[in-house]
Amino acid sequence: MRAKLAAVIAGLGVVIVSAPVLAHHSFAVEYDPKKPVEGTGVISKVEWTNPHMRVYVDVTEPNGTVTTWNLELGAVNSVLRRGWKPADLKPGAKISFKGYGGRKILQRAAADALTLADGRSFTGASGAPDAPAK
Amino acid sequence: MKKLALISLAVIGFTLSLVAQEQERARNADERLPAKLTGEFTPTASEEIAKGPVPRMPDGKPDLHGPWVGGGSNSDIEMMGGLKAGELPLLPWAKKLRDSRREEDEPYLYCTPMGVPRVNPYPWNFIQSVTSKGPGTIYIVHENGDAGRIRHIYMDGRKHPDDLLPSWWGHSIGRWEKDTLVIDTVGYNDKFWMDSRGTPHTEQMHTIERWTRTTFGTMTNDFTLDDPGALSRPVQLKFSAKVMPPGSELMEFICTENNQYGVAADIPNIYRDKGFGLEVKPEELK
Repeated sequence: MRAKLAAVIAGLGVVIVSAPVLAHHSFAVEYDPKKPVEGTGVISKVEWTNPHMRVYVDVTEPNGTVTTWNLELGAVNSVLRRGWKPADLKPGAKISFKGYGGRKILQRAAADALTLADGRSFTGASGAPDAPAK
Repeated sequence: MKKLALISLAVIGFTLSLVAQEQERARNADERLPAKLTGEFTPTASEEIAKGPVPRMPDGKPDLHGPWVGGGSNSDIEMMGGLKAGELPLLPWAKKLRDSRREEDEPYLYCTPMGVPRVNPYPWNFIQSVTSKGPGTIYIVHENGDAGRIRHIYMDGRKHPDDLLPSWWGHSIGRWEKDTLVIDTVGYNDKFWMDSRGTPHTEQMHTIERWTRTTFGTMTNDFTLDDPGALSRPVQLKFSAKVMPPGSELMEFICTENNQYGVAADIPNIYRDKGFGLEVKPEELK
């Protein structure tokens, strides 16, 4: 009796957890809202391309090794319509980023906020939710 | 035992109501979120501009020039078309197939065309051509359709050919009914999904779009969806498009340029070997 009831309640949990998936966009199939990432480094390459714009950032770890992050933004057309210009993102410039890591490859991340050395900040271009899912 | 059954029923009922609330909440949140938080971004005209009058062509017909955003399905054709959950009369095989499809496998993510009536957050436009003989073919151009795909709407009274090779956009003929542009399309292939849920269709699909610009900024699409292969009866859906701010233009969008979809999550391209199209023949799933 108690086991059966427990099974029913366990089923309840599964259903509730799976329900919001119906409303997710394709962001969630590639990137993990539960893996927020951030870093500061130097822009090594900018691809003003479709279907997604990409900014590559070299981050030097405390031990001296360099990790290249491949940050995905929205479509280049969306980014341009937000008012960004190629001059705003130059290779060699210092940049900080926040985003969500790839489900399999953390360093392939959806960028949700990019902040330049002069303080200008671009946010919300990745398709990421504005806060990690509960 | 009876007590257990009652408790189970109560728990199941409670669960279903929670699920319904969650879905409703998620849908509302989706609509409420500003564009900047849902990734892609296409601005639309202010309310002041949008409520202006419908512009007219020299021949008096409505000028359908946008560019437009929306006006079709994207995440869920049933919900976005104005139906309640479960109201789309899918045949059992089609429902089974939809429920088995995963969003991560939608063909559109591999740069294939969206098909009809699908649109996404990117803009599109009507181009009403004028020739030496007067109004000519009307074109629908999609910024990301894919890519920059053009639909031809023949307005010269021709019929659909009998021997159409199924295609992503089908064969479209149009006519004006007062101020409404009516587009009748057949000849679709079965390779695109009607939404990212995976709602399927067959090559028997027949669509009728009724586009009416109701103000400067709004255009409705009364959409008849008929597919004896996938639906038990024709169904009537309704979508609405919004105009972009004056001066907006479509931009170039070449999807295959740098599509790295799937790498970050190691999602396999299930179409590489078998190609696009229905995963099973409808009769096998009956």
